[in-house]
Amino acid sequence: MSAGNVMRLPALPVQTGSVIHVGISKGQLLTGGLTVFPTNTNNNHHSRRAFLKATLATAGGLAIANWGALFNSETIAQEARRSNKRCILLWANGGASQIDTFDMKPGRPTGGPFRPIQTNVNGIQICEYMPLLARHVDKLAMIRSMRTQSPDHPDGIYHMHTCYKQSERMPHPEIGAMIAKYLGNPDSDLPSFIRMGSTGNAGSGYLGPRYEPFHLGSDGRLPYFSAPLVTPAVQDRRSELLDFMEQERASRSGAEAFESHRLAEQRALRLMRTRQVFNIDSEWQRAQERYGSTSFGRCCFMARKLIENGVPFVEVGQENYDSHADNFVCHKANMDVLDPAWSGLLTDLAERNLLANTLVVWMGEVGRTPYINNRAGRDHFIRAWTIVLAGGGVRGGQVYGATDRDGREVANDPVSEGDLFATIYTALGINPRVRHFVGARPIWATPEGARALRPLLA
Amino acid sequence: MNVTIARSLAILAIVFYTSPLHGQTAAFADAKLLCTLPWDADWVTAVSFVGNDRVAAGNKQGSILVWNLPASDSEKAPPPARLLAGHTNEITRLLTTPDQKTLISSSLDRTIKYWDADGETTKVALVVLNERARYEAETRKRKIPDPIEARAGVQRHSRELTGHKDWIVNLAMTPDGKTLVSGADKVDGKVKEGEVIVWDLPAAKEVKRIKLGGWPWGLAISPDARTIIASERIPLVFDSGARSGLKIWDVETGKIKADMSKELKERMCSAAYSKDGKYLVVLRGGESGGLSGKITLLDPATGKKLRETNPGHLDGGTDLAFHPDAKHIFSAGRDTLVKIWRIEDAKHIRDIGQGRGGQFKDWICAISISPDGRRLATADMAGMVHVWALSK
Repeated sequence: MSAGNVMRLPALPVQTGSVIHVGISKGQLLTGGLTVFPTNTNNNHHSRRAFLKATLATAGGLAIANWGALFNSETIAQEARRSNKRCILLWANGGASQIDTFDMKPGRPTGGPFRPIQTNVNGIQICEYMPLLARHVDKLAMIRSMRTQSPDHPDGIYHMHTCYKQSERMPHPEIGAMIAKYLGNPDSDLPSFIRMGSTGNAGSGYLGPRYEPFHLGSDGRLPYFSAPLVTPAVQDRRSELLDFMEQERASRSGAEAFESHRLAEQRALRLMRTRQVFNIDSEWQRAQERYGSTSFGRCCFMARKLIENGVPFVEVGQENYDSHADNFVCHKANMDVLDPAWSGLLTDLAERNLLANTLVVWMGEVGRTPYINNRAGRDHFIRAWTIVLAGGGVRGGQVYGATDRDGREVANDPVSEGDLFATIYTALGINPRVRHFVGARPIWATPEGARALRPLLA
Repeated sequence: MNVTIARSLAILAIVFYTSPLHGQTAAFADAKLLCTLPWDADWVTAVSFVGNDRVAAGNKQGSILVWNLPASDSEKAPPPARLLAGHTNEITRLLTTPDQKTLISSSLDRTIKYWDADGETTKVALVVLNERARYEAETRKRKIPDPIEARAGVQRHSRELTGHKDWIVNLAMTPDGKTLVSGADKVDGKVKEGEVIVWDLPAAKEVKRIKLGGWPWGLAISPDARTIIASERIPLVFDSGARSGLKIWDVETGKIKADMSKELKERMCSAAYSKDGKYLVVLRGGESGGLSGKITLLDPATGKKLRETNPGHLDGGTDLAFHPDAKHIFSAGRDTLVKIWRIEDAKHIRDIGQGRGGQFKDWICAISISPDGRRLATADMAGMVHVWALSK
């Protein structure tokens, strides 16, 4: 068999009913013009796989990914894609203090040393160390009444990336994977879910490896090993050969892990064709004036570039918020980084007419206590904290909910993780109650009872 | 042989017991609490003697109280005599000029203020000395204690320095009282810079401005006003010393004279020159675990490390001061202790106070030693000023 024959292998999956299977039937001879049969021609084999899937998904808590094939949601995805919406998540890793940023309590014992400043919206004040962002508050929708359930880092990070508790034994997809599925362009060579810095780690969960995040370095650069060693033509031949061999192996063994590996390979190879998108060195020289000369600023600039190139979801993590000790100097240092980066991003998106279609979310896994401990720190707090949305799909210049005078409790309009995600999905044109199946089990994008916060939506 | 040894020991004992060193050590051994001045409105963050018989303290809210101290521990703790009103944010440092006529304060409100030690009071204010305890009882729905009230004369500042545009975190002055130096966080909104301003203290005029590579923390000026030492920090959670610097600057040229950043990577919260300029000491601060709050003695000319005290304060130091005898250093830390060290060999002499238990329990924010060296004042997170008699 020549390499030329191998190159003619079909890349498209074959659909049988509502189940999509990709592969070559066991024992099939590959010669020249290739014929592909659905794998369920081998009934015994199919039954065993189905059984194993169901067993693992329910008893073991590990969902065998169906790569989206079991989901009756392609129509929804097509509908959502038409909205051309995008999302950038600015992740405050460790949990930022709401009282020191967007829900200040000046003059109160919980207030701390920061002082509020006026913004470009009458009646809304934010911390003095975000003077640049204060000029963009007309674009921000602040939710000051988050009341969530997961108080620590691992569970909080999971919960605030999936809107489901980590204790549930179902691997839920992160928000990035969900958005990648519904807003991503399947034909794009760029990944549809990209992240940089300290971020979530739940991955694509039951949506499968197609929607796994692609990680850039914490400075927004491609990994060093991504540079190709051979010419594109040679690389294409190699990849197609590899593709064939992996399909063949998968069909013989029936192991889904090969599918995951094969998809990762494919994505990597496609990515190499577009690697120039990630080269922002020359532009960064000028852009850092706006974004601030920091890694986080550079990542925010990269996020704008990726959004501009059609990537539907980019997450940028900012480290250093978990200030159980020395909270104020740490937050001051963080705001020095956050303020130019975030405001630069909003300015850039607005100037390029991207903001109306790009939702920018700022949040972490927890808030921080109103009480200042005797390490000059603030600890984790989930009873009353703040998340900020901006841009596409939300109405800026407003505050949703409120806390009491010391920030200890939500005074009105409490918002749950599910409510937040329902709002984000709705703003992006994704049905928050879209249903997926893992095995026979239905799962919804947001938990039952979650409701979009209508006053926030444009 | 035995007789020879016995004679030698006897001579050594006589030498030791008749030496000035023994006298001082014994004096510190007699240290006892003179009085506790409760001010539980918030953390008390700065303290300074004004003369030998008055003490001023500032807190996180920006208030400064002045007490007239009792002569002995048998007297009842006095109420505050004055309220120095004008700052609007945390007091970071209090210093008194060598003539004891002026108190100088720095604050996160970005100003430095001068206060006449015997300035006129304009009115009387009611100060609630257990304000925080009442608030906490209220928020926890417990019985609210009765207010402990005191009436204090309100005094305004006499001068103000407004050259800094961000948090002023430290102050130092020369022993002649002619030069003041202040350190503040970032300049002009740029990320991670700091600045030091050298002031003509009597004239209240800026003399020199030096830009630092990070936010300043520990700061001191040499007695001849020719050099300053400043530590720089870029705060990071749990690893505050990860990006830090320690440099000696030439005041006239504004250039770095010695850079100790590589040798001393830790974040230094406090620095001081001895009055004679022979010694330069820095204290490690910031929460970094273990007995990390050590003092390092440096050669003032080169910055070269000479000696280090050991063990340090648990979980970092907070403040240090030379005793007027020029032989001892006092340091305070997050372990709620004051430690006394002998300069010549960096030996630990003794602790004053007790660790209050628990993790990072209400650390001592600042200390001050009276000009005659007979009293020590400490200010702490618990909202108290303790005054210790160091010698009879």
